Amino acid sequence: MEANKEIIIEAKGLSVSFLIQRHGINNIKDFIITMGVKSPFEKKTVLRDLDLTVYKGECLGVMGRNGCGKSTLLRTIAGIMTPDEGSLTVKGNVAPLMALGVGLEPELSGLENIKLVGTLMGLSKKELKNALASIIDFSELSLDEIEMQVKRYSSGMMARLAFSIAVANLPEILIIDEALAVGDLGFRQKCAKRINEIKAAGSTIIYVSHHLDEIKSICTRAIFMEGGKIALSGDVNEICDYYQTHLKRKNPAPTILS
Amino acid sequence: MNPLIYLIIFTFVFGNVFSEIDRYPLYALTGLICWIFFSTTSIQVIESIINSSGVLKSINIPTIAFPLSAQLASLISLFLSMVPFIIMMMLFGMKIGWETLLFFPILLLFSCFTFGVSLILSSFNVYFRDMQLAWSSFMPAIFYATPIAYTSSLIPEKFLWLIKLNPLYHFVGAFRDVFYFNQVPSLQMTGILVVLGILPLLAGLFIFNRLEKGFVSQY
Repeated sequence: MEANKEIIIEAKGLSVSFLIQRHGINNIKDFIITMGVKSPFEKKTVLRDLDLTVYKGECLGVMGRNGCGKSTLLRTIAGIMTPDEGSLTVKGNVAPLMALGVGLEPELSGLENIKLVGTLMGLSKKELKNALASIIDFSELSLDEIEMQVKRYSSGMMARLAFSIAVANLPEILIIDEALAVGDLGFRQKCAKRINEIKAAGSTIIYVSHHLDEIKSICTRAIFMEGGKIALSGDVNEICDYYQTHLKRKNPAPTILS
Repeated sequence: MNPLIYLIIFTFVFGNVFSEIDRYPLYALTGLICWIFFSTTSIQVIESIINSSGVLKSINIPTIAFPLSAQLASLISLFLSMVPFIIMMMLFGMKIGWETLLFFPILLLFSCFTFGVSLILSSFNVYFRDMQLAWSSFMPAIFYATPIAYTSSLIPEKFLWLIKLNPLYHFVGAFRDVFYFNQVPSLQMTGILVVLGILPLLAGLFIFNRLEKGFVSQY
């Protein structure tokens, strides 16, 4: 796009694969019985030969059919999965906000979880102490709720807590994987505001969502993924239109959702 | 609680059978401490990776942190439980000498051994989830193959080599030297312990490194 912008994430010919157990050999007994007959593991390539460039301060929307490799792409960027082929350079620390409330320990209280997840995300003790008040404030959880075990939280509350922790330390790259869909309206607006703040501060955001309005309001550029590749990349409105026409089912079920 | 019940059973059931063993409760307890550390630690380390799969799937942190923290937590809990154990052992007639301090280096080697073995099993457990079940059913076999409730002198001479293949035999022996016989383990035994501490640890780290890349596909 713009040549003068600094590149923050660059992937070239990226291929990522999963090991899958096609024959259902997921225990030792089966493994011993079928030893030498069938190979227990097979590689399933999820991303193949993918090229992606993300510029600093950009907000990239990622769209695509379920199972097209969106989450795998994000996990690779976050460093959780390693690419088989190709190169990937990520400059800066990544705050991943994958699916809802993952990483929260159900048996611990909200407060303990802030400390735990904050530490796991690489916050130092001092940073955590400074951020604690703002995390609690942002999550809109009452003092009573923050002392409660996370297993008793509603899914919206968990999402609020997880989001608050992830954005506490102004990450250089923020990855949001459909994690905000469950919050109530007020919180979603607040998140959008916070995301804009993060954007204004010069961080890069990668946003996965199936909500066209959300993508349109947050992102400037979007990519559409299909079969582990980027099928289309361009302006956010263009991609949203493409998404709408492309994902229409041939014989749509009776309209429950309109 | 668990060791206490074992100890009572042992004392009542075997106390008379093995009446030639001097201070039998102390003898059994030194073996039991060893055994309990090994069995609880290995199970916790084996489960540690898949229990944290949710976190490992969503945050980029070194996987080894989880088995390592399970091992350390287990070690700390052993230190805490050493307080009542030492009181009990003194009641059963343990003498504290400077050799008792050798407990620490022996425990260190024992921890390395336990961690190495458990790391191998925990790596495979990610792929084959019944590994931990297989391991827990294998546990009683190891228990009876280790001279915890009996002495190795009861084993016929020709089978002695077999029991010496069990690494726990050597660790239990070293713990007994320190707590029961109040003697420094022989040079030969020290050598065996060092090898048993280091080799499984290296093997564990090697296998873990080889298998780690595929973990994320299995969560």
